[in-house]
Amino acid sequence: MKTISMFIPCLADLFLPRIGEATVTLLRRLGLDPIYHDAQTCCGQPAISSGHMDSAVKAAKHFIQIFEHDEIIICPSGSCVHTVKHQYPDLLKKEPEWAHRARRVGAKTYELSQFLVDILGTKDVGASFSGSAVYHESCKNLRRLGISDQPRKLIDAVKNTELLPLKEADVCCGFGGEFSIRFPDISEAIVAQKVQHFINSEADILVLSEPGCLLNVDGYLQRHHPEKKAMHLAELLSHTE
Amino acid sequence: MEINTHRFTETAKKELKNEYSRVFLDIFRQHFPVLRKKAMASFPNPDKALEKSAAIRADVVARLPELLNQFEKNAIRNGAKVFRAKDAKAANEFIVNLAKQRGVTYVTKGKSMVTEEIGLNQALEENGIKAFESDLGEFITQLLDRPPFHIVGPAMNIPVEEISDIFQKKAGMKDPTLDPVELGQAARVYLRNKFHHVEMGITGVNMAVAETGTIINVENEGNIRMSKSSPKTQVSVMTLEKVVENMADALHLVRVLCRSCTGQKLSAYVSMDSGPKKENEIDGPEELFIVIVDNGRWNFYDDSQSREALKCIRCGTCLNICPVYTKVGGYPYGWAYSGPMGQVLTPLLLGLDRTKDLYHACTQCGACSEVCPGGIDHPKMLHEFRIRQTRIRPRISFKKNDIIDFFEFALWEKMVVHPSLWKLGVTMSRSATRQKNAVRMLKKTNGPVKNWTQSRTMPQIARKTFHERWNELRDKK
Repeated sequence: MKTISMFIPCLADLFLPRIGEATVTLLRRLGLDPIYHDAQTCCGQPAISSGHMDSAVKAAKHFIQIFEHDEIIICPSGSCVHTVKHQYPDLLKKEPEWAHRARRVGAKTYELSQFLVDILGTKDVGASFSGSAVYHESCKNLRRLGISDQPRKLIDAVKNTELLPLKEADVCCGFGGEFSIRFPDISEAIVAQKVQHFINSEADILVLSEPGCLLNVDGYLQRHHPEKKAMHLAELLSHTE
Repeated sequence: MEINTHRFTETAKKELKNEYSRVFLDIFRQHFPVLRKKAMASFPNPDKALEKSAAIRADVVARLPELLNQFEKNAIRNGAKVFRAKDAKAANEFIVNLAKQRGVTYVTKGKSMVTEEIGLNQALEENGIKAFESDLGEFITQLLDRPPFHIVGPAMNIPVEEISDIFQKKAGMKDPTLDPVELGQAARVYLRNKFHHVEMGITGVNMAVAETGTIINVENEGNIRMSKSSPKTQVSVMTLEKVVENMADALHLVRVLCRSCTGQKLSAYVSMDSGPKKENEIDGPEELFIVIVDNGRWNFYDDSQSREALKCIRCGTCLNICPVYTKVGGYPYGWAYSGPMGQVLTPLLLGLDRTKDLYHACTQCGACSEVCPGGIDHPKMLHEFRIRQTRIRPRISFKKNDIIDFFEFALWEKMVVHPSLWKLGVTMSRSATRQKNAVRMLKKTNGPVKNWTQSRTMPQIARKTFHERWNELRDKK
């Protein structure tokens, strides 16, 4: 049984642990052995995006030390994968040895859907869910990792699920980490638009593969449209009826 | 022009309530990318076309001093007079003096963002010289005394009723009309008279070709061509990054520019001028002045990351797809340039201190860099400004936000490398977020909790985090 190291983003760990649980269920169903390093904390993305690079360097080194001996690392968040894969080497460029270690870790770190489709070569993960779904293209997944087809193929293969088109699916949801609390009014206008498109699509669920976007969209839904549901791709893929 | 970059949040708040703009921008955001994509598809390979334009711009920026010298030499050989203006003041003084020497009482203008940047109209007016904007959009914003809403369509947010009113009040239109053709005609009649007697025209520059000393202007209304060919004295104002090595490069950029800018394969007018009227020619200005404006650009040229901003060709496509711009419009950006290109350029020209909101008002979605013909990675640049700003800030500062910021990350960096501290922090925060009174208070106090919960429910730290659940899950295999 292949061992897969799970890198569960801190947002999911703290606020949406169900994403982590779904990831475990899913991987085990596929006959894999998920492991989880208890010492993992945060990859450093919040420090990076607000410009606190010295703090971020510490987070990066901690992450590398914990994960560098793993064969494959998977993560249910494109933005965290982007941080490890693309931002760590830059962050550590003044320390070539660390930068080298960062690149080695980055090379074996995959976003969940990317791992399932591109590495495992699977589409049907044995999930079933009765209802229609739309998919929101989270920005880092789409534009920094080039992930778009993979989640769609996975959703399409879920038994009894119909994948519907979502208008402006590739437009940002307005989260942007610190952006959402620095500019709450603009962020609200953007997420309201996303939710309106979701409602207009008449789909039962909005699927996305980024905990940050989920926190944002779901928080807005709970306040304004509690009857509508957003879920992480891992949750849909772990679902069986 | 007045600098209001520090009012970003306040203006954005106001603009978000402007229903007319909101409806307009929503339609615009949904339709423009389709138009652009369709136009780009007329290239045999759209991705390659964009790569090529980015490569051209990268080369220009890398060899800027050399190409500028070459352009200057060839422009002079063509008979133009070239003035290098170190800053706004020098550029304005040169143009004002020129106008005074020529004894003109007014000038006509083609749309030019650099003249907005240096505040040329105001400098002219202060010296008793009237400037008539001849681009329809600029004409409207000038009559209304508004800043540009968009670098390409400065008045595209103005309701037609308002245009009708202002044309009646200030542009001699007799009867109210909402017919765009009639409104266009009214502006035409008003401006035609100005063109008829104009002695001096001032326009911007889209491209300055180094090998030939040629100036290229791209437009749809013919007003720039009119402004360049009617008067005796023509002044072309450009920022130094407008230069391109040769005509082939310039024409590729023109093709990409038009597609990115308005979704056209080519604009209605593209004019190329190499020097003033020659002896055997029947039209054109008798004298041509080219003003090359620095205004702070050489200051950041040596910095390889900042100079990326100079790759911009002002197509405006980054504004049209930006989730933030297409909600708040151009006014909050508080100066000549708006949207991602403005967020990248303005802080470099005005400094990081008074433009803080500009480099933070970005979700880092990357939609802009994906379509940029110049190959600029706007989110990366804005991120770089954030880093620089935290570096220049003193480690000890007594400003409220700085203190919060400092403690937040000083504490965070300890927790992040010590899993036991991290867990302790999680346990403590969990009980704190479950103190109903404390949360209620935080929701009312200006800060992250209030801002988040303004439109969303407060996320709660789970009763059992994944860390804690894993202990059970691990053994459940």
